[in-house]
Amino acid sequence: MTALSDAELIAAVLAGDIDSFAGLVRRYQDTCTRFAVRMLGSHVDADDALQSAFMRAFRGLRSCRDPEHFGGWLYQIVVNECRTHASRHRRRELRFPTAEDAIERAVAPGSEPEAENDVGGHIERALSMLPAEQREAFLLKHVEELSYEEIAEMTGVSVSALKMRVKRACDALRDLLEGVYNG
Amino acid sequence: MVEKYDENIGGEDAAFLEQVAAPLRAAEHAHPSFEKRLMENVRIEGPALYPVRASSNSSWWRTPRVVRLSPLTGLAMAAGISAIIALSGIALGSRFSARSHGGAGTAELNARTDPVELVRFVFADASAARVELVGDFNQWTRGTTQLKPSGAPGVWTVSVPLSSGQHEYAFIINGSRWVADPLAVKSSDDFGTESSVIRVEPPLRGTT
Repeated sequence: MTALSDAELIAAVLAGDIDSFAGLVRRYQDTCTRFAVRMLGSHVDADDALQSAFMRAFRGLRSCRDPEHFGGWLYQIVVNECRTHASRHRRRELRFPTAEDAIERAVAPGSEPEAENDVGGHIERALSMLPAEQREAFLLKHVEELSYEEIAEMTGVSVSALKMRVKRACDALRDLLEGVYNG
Repeated sequence: MVEKYDENIGGEDAAFLEQVAAPLRAAEHAHPSFEKRLMENVRIEGPALYPVRASSNSSWWRTPRVVRLSPLTGLAMAAGISAIIALSGIALGSRFSARSHGGAGTAELNARTDPVELVRFVFADASAARVELVGDFNQWTRGTTQLKPSGAPGVWTVSVPLSSGQHEYAFIINGSRWVADPLAVKSSDDFGTESSVIRVEPPLRGTT
């Protein structure tokens, strides 16, 4: 089965085949959704942020200098959009999964019921209590498993600052989850 | 005091981190309507941002493609076919026919009472002299749905009204070569012949 590369799809869009962008959307929407949901703590907010991020990517497609690495470029936009979204919704701090999200999660394809003893829920809650910059650094490093260099390039934050954010995030998570794992 | 970050995480810390990170790595899926909603906006802004390049000769032109359009956009882009649809009373759900430009055949389908969407099929192959579309919507009948040159070199298009649901189709090039859409979901019949699958969703109403 042949699949067009990111660069081929981008070339098609730039040549006027607008619908080729759907191929890029399909390829990256789930990966980006994972980051956005973890970052924003809500499927609804993640959906909003990603609609904006993908539209920004579409509008700026000509500025994607390395089309073969469209994914990294898109991810940078997604990270920025999530930051903007998080700050816009800062009043709604300590995001806990809402009933609306629970329903969405239940009907989403591939979704699973709440894990036994809801350890995942504890982790998500603990994550939501971290400052946004620590949460972002932790997710990119340990969930998306990017290198510090990749994260630095994506976020514009120095490697040493990122390492410190990740360390603080880990320390805070350990404190917050102590009861879950040791209790 | 300056905190020092120790990159070499010890076994206990690594185990804790894995306990925390592993559930967070579980897959998440975009909402089923995510792509559709996004592409609606993309199609609104796209033509002004990225007009069709008449001289493009990049590799994608050689691949068959299916482009779904909203009925209004489709009507605007395929004025000829839209006139026939409008005259036939699409809203009334009557039986109607859509005649392809430049082709000898006629594609007929029973619209029943379902809403239909105009789906634009695009095939690109610089070597093609004749391209036709066959599918369950024209009873896989050769010679009924011809694609016509779009104006861009090697690009052929036809717009076909399809009712909601799943449809199978394939292109026939120069009267003999059967080509399934490489970008679409594949389906094989009992004899192993590959065709492509397109799913036409019912129109969204009142989404916010």
